[in-house]
Amino acid sequence: MAEKTKEETQLWNGTVLQDASQGLQDSLFSSESDNSLYFTYSGQSNTLEVRDLTYQVDIASQVPWFEQLAQFKIPWRSHSSQDSCELGIRNLSFKVRSGQMLAIIGSSGCGRASLLDVITGRGHGGKMKSGQIWINGQPSTPQLVRKCVAHVRQHDQLLPNLTVRETLAFIAQMRLPRTFSQAQRDKRVEDVIAELRLRQCANTRVGNTYVRGVSGGERRRVSIGVQLLWNPGILILDEPTSGLDSFTAHNLVTTLSRLAKGNRLVLISLHQPRSDIFRLFDLVLLMTSGTPIYLGAAQQMVQYFTSIGHPCPRYSNPADFYVDLTSIDRRSKEREVATVEKAQSLAALFLEKVQGFDDFLWKAEAKELNTSTHTVSLTLTQDTDCGTAVELPGMIEQFSTLIRRQISNDFRDLPTLLIHGSEACLMSLIIGFLYYGHGAKQLSFMDTAALLFMIGALIPFNVILDVVSKCHSERSMLYYELEDGLYTAGPYFFAKILGELPEHCAYVIIYAMPIYWLTNLRPVPELFLLHFLLVWLVVFCCRTMALAASAMLPTFHMSSFFCNALYNSFYLTAGFMINLDNLWIVPAWISKLSFLRWCFSGLMQIQFNGHLYTTQIGNFTFSILGDTMISAMDLNSHPLYAIYLIVIGISYGFLFLYYLSLKLIKQKSIQDW
Amino acid sequence: MGELPFLSPEGARGPHINRGSLSSLEQGSVTGTEARHSLGVLHVSYSVSNRVGPWWNIKSCQQKWDRQILKDVSLYIESGQIMCILGSSGSGKTTLLDAISGRLRRTGTLEGEVFVNGCELRRDQFQDCFSYVLQSDVFLSSLTVRETLRYTAMLALCRSSADFYNKKVEAVMTELSLSHVADQMIGSYNFGGISSGERRRVSIAAQLLQDPKVMMLDEPTTGLDCMTANQIVLLLAELARRDRIVIVTIHQPRSELFQHFDKIAILTYGELVFCGTPEEMLGFFNNCGYPCPEHSNPFDFYMDLTSVDTQSREREIETYKRVQMLECAFKESDIYHKILENIERARYLKTLPTVPFKTKDPPGMFGKLGVLLRRVTRNLMRNKQAVIMRLVQNLIMGLFLIFYLLRVQNNTLKGAVQDRVGLLYQLVGATPYTGMLNAVNLFPMLRAVSDQESQDGLYHKWQMLLAYVLHVLPFSVIATVIFSSVCYWTLGLYPEVARFGYFSAALLAPHLIGEFLTLVLLGIVQNPNIVNSIVALLSISGLLIGSGFIRNIQEMPIPLKILGYFTFQKYCCEILVVNEFYGLNFTCGGSNTSMLNHPMCAITQGVQFIEKTCPGATSRFTANFLILYGFIPALVILGIVIFKVRDYLISR
Repeated sequence: MAEKTKEETQLWNGTVLQDASQGLQDSLFSSESDNSLYFTYSGQSNTLEVRDLTYQVDIASQVPWFEQLAQFKIPWRSHSSQDSCELGIRNLSFKVRSGQMLAIIGSSGCGRASLLDVITGRGHGGKMKSGQIWINGQPSTPQLVRKCVAHVRQHDQLLPNLTVRETLAFIAQMRLPRTFSQAQRDKRVEDVIAELRLRQCANTRVGNTYVRGVSGGERRRVSIGVQLLWNPGILILDEPTSGLDSFTAHNLVTTLSRLAKGNRLVLISLHQPRSDIFRLFDLVLLMTSGTPIYLGAAQQMVQYFTSIGHPCPRYSNPADFYVDLTSIDRRSKEREVATVEKAQSLAALFLEKVQGFDDFLWKAEAKELNTSTHTVSLTLTQDTDCGTAVELPGMIEQFSTLIRRQISNDFRDLPTLLIHGSEACLMSLIIGFLYYGHGAKQLSFMDTAALLFMIGALIPFNVILDVVSKCHSERSMLYYELEDGLYTAGPYFFAKILGELPEHCAYVIIYAMPIYWLTNLRPVPELFLLHFLLVWLVVFCCRTMALAASAMLPTFHMSSFFCNALYNSFYLTAGFMINLDNLWIVPAWISKLSFLRWCFSGLMQIQFNGHLYTTQIGNFTFSILGDTMISAMDLNSHPLYAIYLIVIGISYGFLFLYYLSLKLIKQKSIQDW
Repeated sequence: MGELPFLSPEGARGPHINRGSLSSLEQGSVTGTEARHSLGVLHVSYSVSNRVGPWWNIKSCQQKWDRQILKDVSLYIESGQIMCILGSSGSGKTTLLDAISGRLRRTGTLEGEVFVNGCELRRDQFQDCFSYVLQSDVFLSSLTVRETLRYTAMLALCRSSADFYNKKVEAVMTELSLSHVADQMIGSYNFGGISSGERRRVSIAAQLLQDPKVMMLDEPTTGLDCMTANQIVLLLAELARRDRIVIVTIHQPRSELFQHFDKIAILTYGELVFCGTPEEMLGFFNNCGYPCPEHSNPFDFYMDLTSVDTQSREREIETYKRVQMLECAFKESDIYHKILENIERARYLKTLPTVPFKTKDPPGMFGKLGVLLRRVTRNLMRNKQAVIMRLVQNLIMGLFLIFYLLRVQNNTLKGAVQDRVGLLYQLVGATPYTGMLNAVNLFPMLRAVSDQESQDGLYHKWQMLLAYVLHVLPFSVIATVIFSSVCYWTLGLYPEVARFGYFSAALLAPHLIGEFLTLVLLGIVQNPNIVNSIVALLSISGLLIGSGFIRNIQEMPIPLKILGYFTFQKYCCEILVVNEFYGLNFTCGGSNTSMLNHPMCAITQGVQFIEKTCPGATSRFTANFLILYGFIPALVILGIVIFKVRDYLISR
């Protein structure tokens, strides 16, 4: 009886001290009063269980194929090498339930990224050698992961020119079941905005490193909101606090903690949390070299390590101290061996201590074992499902939402629009005044031919760079959204093509109209319209070529190089630089594919067919039919209408290539390799 | 002296006394036989004037508001000590380092004084006294660690003996534990090399070569993992023990480092909230009612305590008041008064040593140029990929043309004139572009290195530019000869050796002009991609206006005709046209009667085309060459001027 009283007194004292410390800590970070709407997950309880997981990482597959080529390696041979494989995770087991937030911490190379890859089914760089992943008592499958798990990546991409509300609204259109009414979707968006404390910036642009917008913490919360819209029961975040300042990081983890208490399961991966953030965790998994060193309540981590002989100094952050304790020192071989041995002994000790526990958690008192076992048994028998199978929006809805997002984002980007317009205008004026034709003299035949060639030949140079650059900046976002199953390649393809038409039309108008009138080409309305239509088609064809190359090749430089090589091929085989008769078989075929050649032929036919031309040689003046001059340059092999059809056909060829690339090639951005 | 009978020289130097009491330590320096260096910062304030709005809004542009970046900051530190300056982003840490080291721009107003051993420094002396390690490590990636340090030593010190440099470099590498990677290439993010911690230590080693007594490091642990960051700080503390003053700024130090700093300063919005030893820090904040919780990082806790939360207006006001309260408490504390007393005492004591300048005995201008030239050449030669690309780029472009054209004809009906014109147009358009690509790929890294090293006083930026120009010339000549040897004969241009020589010389110039024009623009514009676009646009415009191939020069509008004289393409094209068409005869493939039906047959001799395209060019052949090659020294001189201006703008 006396011992029991003493024990209770100690517990009471500890509670008082802890409360006082917590109060002092909270005074630094007093966040907004919790008077707003509380958006609780209404689904059933979720569990995530990893059992005896051993995961092997294939290092060679992490290097993309073109870098292996750059290092003069044969890609398929290095894959078979055993030296490139190493164990990323060794014999890991844990179990988490709804209402808990588990933090996975450890130094670089401890296996955190591999663990997240395995759980989310995105471990493309390795394979599971043994073990199982269970979600709600069922083995993990890609469909189950997609239905239950939301993954917020460290480098999530958002379109910078949309506002926070617009970003969430577009995702709501895409991700919520089609049975939802518009009012229900809007309400869901407002609920998420309120839940994540984004009301103040709901109408602010998201922004990025170049465009000013919301703050870093707010942008991170928007990324979380994108995933919360469809009400997932399990939330997984990769390094959510990296790059944020202390206040923002604290508030973000506070928000995540509240999400967990709202009956969600939250799993976050952190390199080294600060002491104030460390207090917010429910559970902590400390890993090194793919093995668990500690798994249990965050508040008891110090107690555990103290009991095995590693007390935490008073003025130290426990996360700092114990991550250091288990880090591998690679400064020399001897140090590396010693630290590896120490880490392995700590891992073995932990496994020994948690042996027999169903949830693999270390606990301060063993007498809770029976209760935990009983609870786990009850949970296992439920065999719950993540709600009924819902019908997502079809392709038509996906397309309409995507095209609205595309146009909104494009027309908000005013600096880019101004730059592109200035490019077109500048090119137009240079050529227009160079060939200024409102003088006493008419343009000579060769000058007119050169003018018509340059009209078609100069503009691709800018269009290619602009389109490739824009596609690659959107590529990583596209990759994540396709991987999440938000939409498929088809709707995106059509939204991209049709969404960019307004800018395309404006560009061609700015470019083509001043040239035509400044240079005093034939002032017949029908001829001008024919001229304009052909330039429009050629610029469109050039744009589709750039789109196809961007989707086909993974880096901006490779796409630019490939496009420019194609462009130069078409440029040389267009019939102006080199006579078409002089092309041998291979360039002749390239010439048939060259939209510049058909542009040149078409423009020449428009200007010269049925037109008498005068030229002066010495003292003689000749009047020659335009048809004859065109024949001399071998530019009238096809009638004018056939040229339009050919250019349209080439455009369709590139469009088909673009669609195939979107469908078959992963749109992975270079940073993710 | 009678008042301090317990102090003796041996006692003052004892390590236990050094750690125990700073008061006795600082007083001991007065009576010790070997006095230590001191650095005092007294009431330093710095403010800048910003315009309220952009230039096109004239009303708001004329209004200005002053922004106070530093406010009345005072510090004191002695040899053997390492000081850590804490603060969140925007608190003024880097500005304080710049103020102490004399690197602040003159655009602002700096008040207060900086004393080294009680002496105030002249402006030109700051660079010679302080050593500054920036946050970013910028090196030539193809050199080894030993070579990097050796070239830095040769730029800073002048000795006739090569052995001197070897000994100096080896000593520094040993001190910083870099010997095991001495012969490894520095590398870069994409291509491996030494680790990030080792790169940071190479940055420190480059400064140690001149034996500085005062070292400043801006965020030395940024971007490093926890263990490497720990090692760097321990290393810096060890450097301080060897009779140096070390000042570091760290954004978020880890708790293990708490005991390794001799002094800790906390800045918030440019104001000094605290400066003292770790023990004093705990005591001060405890007295203010903010004890550090158990199992917490004191750095984290006190930096959050002294930060302003800008997430909402109410929080900002509340936290700012707390910071103000803490700052007032510190200004009234004994710790602050002791700092001021130490600064004043150091100013008026005569027994202190003189200002400890770095070892500085640099070689002359040509010596520096020689070292820079050797370094940049070795860096390029190590980079096999860059060498190959430099030599082969033009050849690849030439093979591309050969693939399409195969061989030019003499039959005008088969496009003899047309093909030749197209070929020459393509050659004059492409060679500046390849030169530009070389500069855009290779020069920005050199520029970043020289921006940093010229701030250390090693050399001027224009000397680096000149070294680059000199090392480019041989490669460009070789590349052009390779390219023209293959293309001239394969394509079947005029079969004469002298003309081949003129052809090569005529194409070497635009290649060099393209590269040097890019260098000039890279001295003005920071972003290489923008320079890429500008040079491409200038090349296209120059070719359109100046060449005469696309638009007949006689019929061009007058302003554009005048503009054409300023393009190098004009002279290059005239040379190439004369070189190829002079003395050339064309056939028509048919009888004379077909002339009426085939306007191409109007030209039967090359001279006719020359007179039609660029009349009088034959007689101007030599003058065209002189003008064309005159562009090259003109661009080099312009580049030197621009980089001198850049030197001035960055340092002012």
